[in-house]
Amino acid sequence: MEKDLHELMGETLIIHLPEELDHHTVGEVRNATDDLFIGKRVRNVIFDYGKTSFMDSSGIGLIMGRYREVRYLKGNVYLVNIGKKMERILEISGLYRVAIRAEDISTAMEMIKE
Amino acid sequence: MNNKNSNMTVEFDSISKNESFARVVVAAFVARLDPTLVEISDIKTAVSEAVTNSIIHGYENQIGRIKIDVSIDGDEVTIVVTDNGIGIDNIEKAMEPMYTSKPELERSGMGFAFMEAFMDELSVESNPGEGTIITMRKVIGKEDDNWDKELD
Repeated sequence: MEKDLHELMGETLIIHLPEELDHHTVGEVRNATDDLFIGKRVRNVIFDYGKTSFMDSSGIGLIMGRYREVRYLKGNVYLVNIGKKMERILEISGLYRVAIRAEDISTAMEMIKE
Repeated sequence: MNNKNSNMTVEFDSISKNESFARVVVAAFVARLDPTLVEISDIKTAVSEAVTNSIIHGYENQIGRIKIDVSIDGDEVTIVVTDNGIGIDNIEKAMEPMYTSKPELERSGMGFAFMEAFMDELSVESNPGEGTIITMRKVIGKEDDNWDKELD
């Protein structure tokens, strides 16, 4: 398990996704980040795909779940650092209909500030 | 004799750590057909979906056995994922995109849709109480894939 799996910056949670995002690793990401949602105001979530080269429908479920949570606070979910291997599954999944794609973390942070 | 024709079987416990093992071992076996990166990625996703279904839904996180048979016939790969879990009551419903019987687990309901999207053929046989057999087929080297050019 990576040490810097997540960072909470103000009301924005940054989740650094693992190399392969499946049912097993989604469980690990949830365990590592769920505490940050408890008693805290997380309005935006940035999913960092920088290291990720595989994702299946379990990963889609993770992002949809976080999207539902932040919508209560009128926040957004951002997907950043998307490599070519991730393009196809993200397009087919329809995630771009709910999540906002941004170049990198700082770009997403700028969009959140606006 | 066509030395491309071959088959293999692998069987393992239904624990989530084995999801990556399952897709990697199938991808390694199919590598002899010289698939494109996209084809390999498609197969890995489809295998991951089928195995995850067996773990979460078939065995409901109890430990059971999952068997994968892969056979190569010419350019065609057939992957059969079998479990002896609880089976599926209503296959049609289970295959509807976005439907999940376990919404509390934040499942996307896209598992079967991805198997259908990434493979050429998908069939599901299931008897409640007996288990489920997922059969998927894909012809390798069939299409000129634009996605691959972008990957280079």
